This record gives sequence, structure tokens and C-alpha cells, in this order.
Amino acid sequence: MARTKEAPRRDPLQPQRLVDRGIVDHRRTIEFTFDGVTYKGHPGDTVASALLANGVMLAGRSFKYHRPRGILSAGSEEPSALLELRDGARREPNTKATTAELFDGLVAKSQNRWPSLDFDVMSINSLLSKVFVAGFYYKTFMWPAALWEKLYEPAIRRAAGLGRASDAADPDVYEKTTAHTDVLIIGGGPAGLMAALAAAQSGKRVILVDEQAALGGRAIDDGSIIDGRPAREWVRSVEAELASRPDVTILRRTTVFGTYDGGTYGALERVNDHVAVPQKHQPRQRLWRIVAKRAVLATGATERPIVFGDNDRPGVMLAGAVRTYINRFGVVPGDRVVVFANNDYAVSTVTDLINAGANVVAIVDSRPKPSEAISRIASSAGTKLLSGAVVTRALGKKRVTGALIRTQSGAEVRLFCDLIAVSGGWNPNIQLSTHVGGKPLWNDDLLCFLPGSLPPGMLLAGAVAGNFSLPKALGSGADAGATAVANGTKSVSIPVPKAAEDSVRIAPLWRVEDHSGKAFVDFQNDVTDTDVELAEREGFRAVEHLKRYTTLGMATDQGRTANVNALAIMADITGRTIPQTGMTLARPPYVPVAVGALAGHHRGKSFKPTRLPPSYKWAKEQGAVCVETGLWLRPSYFPRPGEKDWLDTVKREVNTVRNAVGICDVSTLGKVDVQGKDAAAFLERVYMNNLKSLAIGKARYGGMLREDGILFDDGTVARFAENQYFITTTTANAVRALQHMEYCAQWLWPELDVQIISATEQWAQYAVAGPKSRELLRKIVDPEFDISDAGFPYLQVGEITVCGGVKARLFRLSFSGERAYEIGVPARYGDALMRQLWEAGREFGACAYGTEALGVMRIEKGHISGPELNGTTTPRDVGLGGMVSKTKDFVGRTLGTRPGIVDPERPQLIGFRPVDRSVRLRSGAHFLAKGANPTAANDEGYMTSVAYSPSNGHWIGLGFLKHGPERVGEIVRAYDPVRGGDTLVEVVKPVFVDPEGARVRG
Amino acid sequence: MRIACPYCGERSLDEFIYSGDATVRRPDASAPTASEDYVKYVYERTNPPGMHRELWYHAAGCHAWLVVSRDISTHAISSVELAKDVALANNQAMKESA
Amino acid sequence: MANMLKPTSAFSHLDPLSTPSLSVAPREDLTMASFAAGKDQVQAVMATIKSAYGVDLPRRPARVSGKGIAFVWAGPDQWLAVAERGANRDMERELKSLLSAMASVVDQSDGRVVVRVSGPLSRQVLAKGIPIDLHPRAFGANAAAITHASHIGVIMWQLEDASTFELAMFRSYADSFAHWLIETAEATLPATA
Ligand SMILES: [Zn+2]
Repeated sequence: MARTKEAPRRDPLQPQRLVDRGIVDHRRTIEFTFDGVTYKGHPGDTVASALLANGVMLAGRSFKYHRPRGILSAGSEEPSALLELRDGARREPNTKATTAELFDGLVAKSQNRWPSLDFDVMSINSLLSKVFVAGFYYKTFMWPAALWEKLYEPAIRRAAGLGRASDAADPDVYEKTTAHTDVLIIGGGPAGLMAALAAAQSGKRVILVDEQAALGGRAIDDGSIIDGRPAREWVRSVEAELASRPDVTILRRTTVFGTYDGGTYGALERVNDHVAVPQKHQPRQRLWRIVAKRAVLATGATERPIVFGDNDRPGVMLAGAVRTYINRFGVVPGDRVVVFANNDYAVSTVTDLINAGANVVAIVDSRPKPSEAISRIASSAGTKLLSGAVVTRALGKKRVTGALIRTQSGAEVRLFCDLIAVSGGWNPNIQLSTHVGGKPLWNDDLLCFLPGSLPPGMLLAGAVAGNFSLPKALGSGADAGATAVANGTKSVSIPVPKAAEDSVRIAPLWRVEDHSGKAFVDFQNDVTDTDVELAEREGFRAVEHLKRYTTLGMATDQGRTANVNALAIMADITGRTIPQTGMTLARPPYVPVAVGALAGHHRGKSFKPTRLPPSYKWAKEQGAVCVETGLWLRPSYFPRPGEKDWLDTVKREVNTVRNAVGICDVSTLGKVDVQGKDAAAFLERVYMNNLKSLAIGKARYGGMLREDGILFDDGTVARFAENQYFITTTTANAVRALQHMEYCAQWLWPELDVQIISATEQWAQYAVAGPKSRELLRKIVDPEFDISDAGFPYLQVGEITVCGGVKARLFRLSFSGERAYEIGVPARYGDALMRQLWEAGREFGACAYGTEALGVMRIEKGHISGPELNGTTTPRDVGLGGMVSKTKDFVGRTLGTRPGIVDPERPQLIGFRPVDRSVRLRSGAHFLAKGANPTAANDEGYMTSVAYSPSNGHWIGLGFLKHGPERVGEIVRAYDPVRGGDTLVEVVKPVFVDPEGARVRG
Repeated sequence: MRIACPYCGERSLDEFIYSGDATVRRPDASAPTASEDYVKYVYERTNPPGMHRELWYHAAGCHAWLVVSRDISTHAISSVELAKDVALANNQAMKESA
Repeated sequence: MANMLKPTSAFSHLDPLSTPSLSVAPREDLTMASFAAGKDQVQAVMATIKSAYGVDLPRRPARVSGKGIAFVWAGPDQWLAVAERGANRDMERELKSLLSAMASVVDQSDGRVVVRVSGPLSRQVLAKGIPIDLHPRAFGANAAAITHASHIGVIMWQLEDASTFELAMFRSYADSFAHWLIETAEATLPATA
């Protein structure tokens, strides 16, 4: 590399900025504030690079000890420089300064400090560090447990500190999308770019994803020369070539955060994180689900720090990051630099520093014998080389002022500097290869884990596979790209550009022995080497235990700068090798993902889809109050002026149905058309009761069991023709009941000739109930159809026309116990039919009623519904035991006769009314014999449904009671400790209106 | 995970519903041992690692019931068949052996 | 007596969108019926449809169109017939008369509603809610699929035109679907000044 003699020019307004370096836009200057002070930067900067350009190294305070922290890295592995960005509703804590792109007007604040970053009261935690050692959550605050929520946790939270999220709703929108591709290339560095080029030759679909705003990865960071020209020019030409291909998609500012089964990858695109406010309708972030036949992992490597005393001081920076700031951003992070390394990466670090005009005070190389490359750079740069030496401690508090060095001979040397550039070697970013269980392998030459077994379809390229030098990275990228599209045949290679070979020699050094001060392993979670030792002493030697005991690696950086060092230290103190010590597998997400991005469109009212019944619009016009039942939004009641509460309204609705006529939208019930020569035989096997005798034109109640004998669903079965049935299910079970019937038809009895088609939504179906229902319907049903009681008796069904020829279906069914019908028309006429019924109903005093009145009336009649069909009850429990066929096989038959299912001690459905009629009943109350203690052993059942019965003038209930039917007249206790209820109730028959059932028949 | 529906092609897991062991067959309710047979059929399951034959339902797709052979340790799927075909073949085999 | 009932759209707030890059419009003018072949009747059903409409019913997800009618695969041995209602076409009646003995025919004209999405951006918009591969090589002219869009079950198909899709969903989801579609379209269309 050519060296300039004269120091490069600097920007007078940004003291550490080189005016002619990097890929930032030097021509434009933008302003931002950090802790209230205004600074200048350029488009293309990160917050970190802009802070460094202005000489700001102190970025925040640490999580536990509130130690001053600076900027360790230049990427998403950053554990220290976590800021609060933006303000107002967009305020976002714990944002990495090293990845946050600068924009004009950006407001950044430091975190975990009070009252100011410079003077932080809580740094007293540092003095209390004995309290905060590993395992302190488990040990210190064990007793008394009652104080945990009130005292311990709030105190620890305040003292330990986290950033503050905004209290306001997130004003931005997020988006989700799916992409399918032949090849996904993860990482747009030299290896990834070569892979993309090679794969793109095939004309297949290629998606190239890169974390940063600009492609190029370490080729840009290292200021490499490729094919004789600066990397940025080479990158530009590759980008242009890729962009010219229609089936290549480049996603910048996008991080693949997870590998999932089946070649599925999750990625987060930060579409508008780099602007203050997204344009109208534009998403802030986009979540990608990428389904890839092959994936090329070209994620590079992350540099390791070395663990030494006070290695967290602002001004201790990874050597690779130093180079990134110089080459990508044109920023010199320090002017007097000590380079501390165990490997030859120090060589190019020194070159870059000197070219940037910095003074390299010394190269501290832990290897006793200097490598040839190191010796050469030291002599050509005229820099002091201390071989076999280590930095034992960083000096200075809020900024490094020097380094304490122990030389090979053991002498202590103190050097003044403002930056310590550290390289402990490189960890390939293998995380995405381990998410679905791939086991990493330790490599003793490179001193790092490499991907071992790979997920199906995954290939490796570049540093992630240990190809640390640029020529190897370029070559392996070309190979991987070609192989990814080769499809088993011979791959087509592309020419690999030339680049200089760098030495990557390394010798182990994880931690400096006998250091003074705290030596951090995990910077973000404030875990030190002594915490690792403590864990070992207390027996937490397994790497999974170490992690949980110390919280090491469990912060938002996933311990990317910490895990291998911790493992190596544990290996050291336990006398094992690193592979013997183990390795934790990473889990998604590789970087934090906002919940908003995972939700996308589906938040607030759009959290899940809403289904609207056909009369919804009309009901809203009538002032209906609606309730969510599953996905449906159904009218609950229709209040009228002067009614003081919902109960008032429901009383009126019930009374109107019982005395005149009411209309209710019951379209939400599941409706299934069952046809075929074996339809009857099929239904016989699906339903517990006899259906063989069901005549054409008739309907009947039908109950379905699960195979274990428990009630599953109920509804009606209507027969329209010899081989055509139309069944209804409950609203709640509509989807599951269809699934169950398809299971029966396809898996249990595939030999039957039966076709099952959902017809739920074809029909707008309204219950018209009450003594005047027939008179009302007479005005709707076309005159040629006889709906007299003789012509259309109870349980009759028929195909008719209404309102002048609209095809319709009429069912004489009743849930309310009154004379009642259900009338169905094709759903597009549903709104109009409701309006017609409403108009026609005027003269009869008709009302509309909702789910509340529906519920009251079914309880008054003792009909079971959701609370009784609760997944634990049998036909006998709900009083339908007599209906169960003994002469046929059906789902649930055999296990429905098990001793536990037919046990006479099982609570059975019965009715209740309060002894003191003014008392309100509560569902969920448990029954106890009068005078019995409220113990589980004395439990005799529970109340399932309650309602105020306008017909009775008091509360009524349904519930399950041991021997219930035999105990009519007995007084029992309804005990409800949760809500403080303890009421005496009388056991009554579970029918509170028209016990003879005369009204349904007219 | 992705399952290749024989009709719809490869689809993501969220279109499917898992529904248990596909190796058990609904017993004859008229057999003298029906009670025990049904207890086994409904409740008794081993859960060894390795290859399982499972019933899945293409709920958000074609509504076909499927028999999926899947290694539950790796999620690798070695075959996907239509449950209806498997059931008919079983019936045929039973008939032939009877 | 004349029909007193006026049909209502299931979409209470889907304003048709028409831009050079994307158009969205409900199709309210369709008559549809699903039909499922009875046991051992698939060949008979296919032959009948062939002779009546001149098309081969697909046995896999796909659409075929004949004169004034299209058939979309809707499940194993099951299809959805789609035609314009015009003056008084009734697909259920029409197919019942053809297939009475060999298939179950169920009216879907009201059970499902159809939205047409077309234009160069249609794939990009739909991919934001639909998990299947919509690349022209994977989902081209007359392709069909049963899947979900924004958590709502759909049968979708592409017309002969390279970027025109129709999606059929259960009627009650119409507004939720329209809400998602319009919000997504707005986010995808080039931002306006
Ligand atoms: Zn399918």
C-alpha cells in the first residue's frame, strides 16, 4: 500500500474527519445533536462515525455498573455505544450508534446516566460491584420473595438502567412480504458480491442481502485494492452488472436475522430508518420472509476483543473498526494509537493509521516471536514493536489516556495514547448456520469456530468459512455462487479479480493474566472475567450454565464479541480445550427485530381479520352494540333511547320475542353442504344421534363427539333431498367442524361417496322468532308457499322464494323456545332482506335482537351453548344422554361408554335460581352442599351460564351438579371465591320458560 | 418448515394443521376388545426421535388430509402422501389379508 | 311480483383504484358454483364439462377458460365455475342440470366475493400478503392456487394477461381484505409529492 508522506487534510469543523477519504458524501454537511450539543456529519455516516469525527468517544454508561463506555466496533456487533435515538413518539432506546445512519436533524441521547453522561450518580454501582456479580439475581434477592416486585426489581431496574422507550403509540407503519428465490446471498462483501455475480450468470433468481447502506463489506472497510483499483470502484461495477439483470434483487440495509426449516429465512429491511419521518404510507421497516432453494452464507467475521484490565474504557476499539472508520467514513478515531494484537491483522491496521496521519505509539504483539509481516511494518513505519508483550490495563476513565504494558521480560511500561486498537482474531459470523441445529467446528489454526454441519441448501463463502484473506474470499464467493446454481451439473466459473494476499497468522491470547481493574468479557451485560471464574467455582462449567448464570451473551448483541472469549477463559480455568468446553448455538434473531415489524399491517383493529355478517351495516345504522365472537363482529344488543343500560335493552328484546316477534342475524353459524350417495351413511357415523329416520324436508338436532367421547359440537341437520343434507355447526366451531368432517371423509372412511362443501357464507340467515313470526314471514314469503302450521310444521325445511322470486331457504327451528323460523337468502340480498323484515315487522312491534338476548333465551330454555360445550362434557352431562344411539358406530361411541365418561358421579346439567331472588348469579361459581366447607373434595360442580331472565324477573343459571336431576328442589351453595360470591341457590329443572315446549309448535 | 402438498406444491408450515399419528387406524367398534383398542388408538403414543408418519391437514390450501413422513429431530420430510390414498390402500391390504 | 330485494356489495369501502401501475376493483357481476365429483365420477364430470364447454378441467391447481366461463381448481376433484351473471345466468342451476348425477353442485355466487388486482405492481403488492411464489415463471397465465392473503383464505388465479389476478374469498372478509389491500397498495405505489 502506498504511503503518503504529508498528513491528510482534516475538516476544521469535524476535527477527526479526513476530507478526502471514505465513501461518505463530503460535499453535503448535515447536523445532529448528541445530548443537546449540535454536531456536523455527512450523509453516509453512522451516528458512531459522526461522533468520532467530532472527537466524541464517550457514548454512554454501561448496563449494570454505569461505567463510561465508548464505541467498540463499527457494526451490528456493537455492545457499548447504545443510544436513545429520535424523540417524541419515535423515541427508540438501545439503538446501536454503529449501525444507525445519520440524517439531518437526528436527535441522539446517551443512556443509563443520571443526571448527565459526564457525572453519573449511579456509577456508585461500580463500587457496589460485589453485589452485582454473576448470579446476583438468584442470590441476593431470594428472600423475602414478597419484596421482589415492590422493592428489588424497581430498584435494580432504576439503578441498572435500560433505555426509555416512548410511551406513545408507534406512528410508523411496517410491512411484511414474501420472496422466493433460487439463490439467497447473505452478505454483500467481496465474497457475497462474487457469489451474486456467479449465480446471476445463470439467469436464475438471486437475492443479495446486505446489512449496510452501501455494498462492499470489508473490502470498503479495509480500503482494499481489487483488480488494481480501489474496492469502491470495483463494487460499483459489480453493482451495475447485477442491477442490469432482471432477476437479481439487491436488498440494502437488510439483515437476515434467522434461518428456519425448509430454506426459509427471515430478514429485516430498514426501509426508512435513515430518514427522520417516512414519506406518507411508506413503511419504516419491512419484514421479509425469503424462501430460497440455495443460500450462500457470506456473512464475514467479527473481530474479538482481548480481555484485559479496563478494556471497556472509551478509546479501546477493535482494530477492524478503526480501519472501517478510516476507510469507509474518513474518520481517524484517535491520534496517538497503541495497536494490541495476537495476529497479523495489526499490520494493515498500522498502515491505515499511518496513512491517515495518526501516530502509532507502539505495536503490542502478544506473540513472543514477531511474524515477518509485523516486523516489516514496524520497521517501515518506524514504530516501536513490543513482541511478547500485553496491555494489562487501559488508563483513563472517560477516555483512554494511556496503556499499561507488560513486556516480554515482565517489565511494566506506561505509554500515553488516546486509542488502543485491539485485535484478538476473528470469529466467523456462523450464527445463521446454527439456527436450525448446525454444529460449529473449532479450527485450531484459525482459532475460531467454523460452520460444521449446514442446513440443507446452504453454502459458504468468504470469511465465514475461514477465508480471511481477500483473494480467498473472492475466490470462494465465485465458487459458491456457481455451485448454488449448478443444480448438480458442472458449475460455470467466472474470472476472479486479483487482490493482494494478507497474512492471517495468529497465536492464542484470550485474556491477559494478572491484569488490574475490571476486565470485561461481555460489555453489554457487564460480565467480567472474574464472573466467569465465579461461575466455574460455583459449578456452572457447562457453557449453557455459564451463559445463564452470568447472563453472558444474552444481551441484544447476542454476545458476538463475548462468547468465544468466555468459552476460552472457561476452557483455560478448567484445563479443557475449547471444543471440550462446548459452544452455545445461536437462536434467531441475529439482530433485534421490532415487534411492529413482525406484526406488519396486523396491529390495532387489523390485528386479525374481522368478519362482518350480512346485516352488519343495517345493525350499525340501528345503533347496535357489537361484540367479537371469534373473528365475527356480531350485534350484541340494540339499545334504544331511554334505556339505561344493556340489561334494560336485553329485557326489552327478550320480552318482544316472547310476546311479539324479533329478528336476529344467525348467518355466522357454520353451514356445510353434504351430498353424495353415502351422505346419509356418512352423517350417521359423524353424529351421535340417529339421523337415518330423518325425512326429506325435515331438520333435526345433531350432536358430534370427539373420539374420546366428549361433546365436540352441535347444530342441526336438514335433509333437502335423498342425497343432500345441509348441516349447521356452532359459530365458534365452524372451521373445526368442517375439518373434522373432511378428516372423517378422507381418512376414516375414504370408501364413502360423500362431498363436503362449505356454504357458510352463501346464505344470509335470519332467525325470526316469536308468536307473531309466521305473520311477519307471511309478508315476506311469496304467496305460493304454504307456511301454515299444517303446511310448514316445527322442524320443517324447504326451498322457497321471498320478496317476489328471490330464492330462499326456510327452516322451522327454534333456539328461543318460541315459534320461530330461520330464513336464508343468498348473502348479497341479506342487507335488503333485513330491511324488508324490519319494515314488515313494524305492524307487529318487531325488534332486532343480538347475541345477548339470544343467550338469555337459550338459558331460559336450558339449551346448551359454548359454556356447556366446553371440551370436558359428555352427552349425558348436558342431559342428552338419551339421544346417543346404541345401534350404530359413530365417532366417540366406544370411548363414550368408558367408566369415567358414564360415571354417575359426573356433574350433570341442571338449572338454578337464587333463593334470594334479588341476588345476581355468576358463572364460574362452584357448587357445595349447604354447610359444606369450600374444599376441592366437597366440590359438586360449577355454574356455566347465567342470565337475568325477564320472563322470570330474576337471575337464572345453568350448571353442572353431581346428581343434579335428582336434586331438584334442594338448596346448594354457589361459591365464587374469586369474585367474593357466596349465594344459596335452588336446584330447578333446566327450563325456565314454557316447560311443556308448546310454544315452538305454535 | 415447508410441506409439499401433492396438489398445491410446497407451502409454508402456517398453512397446515398437525393432527397426530398416521400409523394408528380406527379400530372395529364391534370387536370384543373394542374398549382397549380404542384407548390405545386415541391415547397411547410413543414419541421416539427419528422418522414419524404424521397426519397433516392443508387447512389454508386445498383441505386435503396428508400423511407426512418426517424426521422429528431434523424436520426433514421424506414423503407426503394423500391421506385418502393411504387409507384406501390400507383398506385394500386389510381386505386382501382377510 | 317483481323482486323487491336489491343486492348489496360486500365491500363497504373499497373504492376502485386505477393507476398506471396498479388497479383494484371488486367484481360484483359474477355467478359462481363449486362442484365436487362424486366417487368414481371424475372422468364423467370432465367429459361432460368438455362436451358442454370445450375445456379440460384441471386436476391440479390451474384455471381453464372457455367461452364465457372459467373453471378454477378448488380442491381435490373439486372446481369453481365462474362466469358473468349477465341478464340472469345462474351457474348453480346450469351445472346442476349438467352434472346432477355425478357431482354435488353448490352455489357460491354469494359465498365468495372476487377482487381483481392488475397492473405492473400487482405481484409486488400481492406478495406482501400472499406467501406463495408469484414470480411469472412460477405463477403465470391461468395459474391458480388456494392459499391465504393477509390471513384470509383465498382462491386466486391469474387471467391470460400477465399481471391480472383475481382473488376469491369468503364474503364476510371483504372489508378486512379491502383494508389490507388498499393500505398495501398505498405503501407500494410510488410516493406522491
Ligand atoms: Zn394442498
